Amino acid sequence: MRKKSDTIFWALLALTALSFFVLIAFVFLRAPTAQPQAGGIAQKIFYFHVPAAYALYLCGTVGFFGAAAYLYKPSETRDAWARAGVECAVIFGLLVLTSGPLWAKKAWGVYWTWDPRLTTLMLNVLLYGAVMVLRAFAGTGDAERRFAAAFTVLGTLLLPVIHYAVKLWGGIHPTVVTQSGGGLHHPDMRTALTLGFVSMTFLAVVLLWWRARLALATSRLSAIEEIAAARGIGATS
Amino acid sequence: MKQGTSQDPASRSTQFVPVEGNTETTSAEAMLVAAYLVMWALLIAFVGFGWRRQARVEARLDELEKAVGGSAEARRP
Repeated sequence: MRKKSDTIFWALLALTALSFFVLIAFVFLRAPTAQPQAGGIAQKIFYFHVPAAYALYLCGTVGFFGAAAYLYKPSETRDAWARAGVECAVIFGLLVLTSGPLWAKKAWGVYWTWDPRLTTLMLNVLLYGAVMVLRAFAGTGDAERRFAAAFTVLGTLLLPVIHYAVKLWGGIHPTVVTQSGGGLHHPDMRTALTLGFVSMTFLAVVLLWWRARLALATSRLSAIEEIAAARGIGATS
Repeated sequence: MKQGTSQDPASRSTQFVPVEGNTETTSAEAMLVAAYLVMWALLIAFVGFGWRRQARVEARLDELEKAVGGSAEARRP
């Protein structure tokens, strides 16, 4: 069974690499350059920036379900998914928070502005970051895990606020991707964005899977270290 | 202080007015390349550090599993 899951994992990884290769080629060779007000060629950051934000939502949601399930009935697997969700959400959040300002510098003239969407997104990443710090330094006891799970649930409740911040409070953040078809005026722009979403979904799934396995291995190590310590075996190397 | 030099507070700019023509100095290409480089660097760092942690955890796990298994064997009558 383990071999089969390994094969699926490596196949997913290969698909991720292939989809990113296609995405990069399409974005740079086919997707047209947008109007200067949108940043000109810098607008091509959009095809990674928006899918990365979507991947943040995806990982945050996985973390939310893992954490909520852990709070309901604790288990190593549920804690591993909660942990993986938060870690991947932070990395995707950082991708959004670093790519956005570089595009904004060209499109808006500033790297950062306290726009509602930017501010709520940064708060969310900081909250998830706090969960990671808590998990890293507060130990692996049940109380600490429950505390981290509660914070994860709270952090994920911010995700709809980020999404609707533009509608609720305005701001200057673009709202190109909408339910009514969006404001991408060229078929190649829509294809590039779709490829971005597909690639980031593959990447999010691969990273989530990998981090969940790592989290499970880490808790197995903690358990076996306790057994070893009780039997007086092996000082930590 | 002499009048009319750059040292003169009266000669400082007190307003900015728009000028015609393209005066933009920020390069869109530079921003695009920087964004892609930063994104890939972040991802590679995340995967790299995780990979190292995984190798450490698995090595320690193997070591302890052998030790715990060995001690259980030794204690068996």
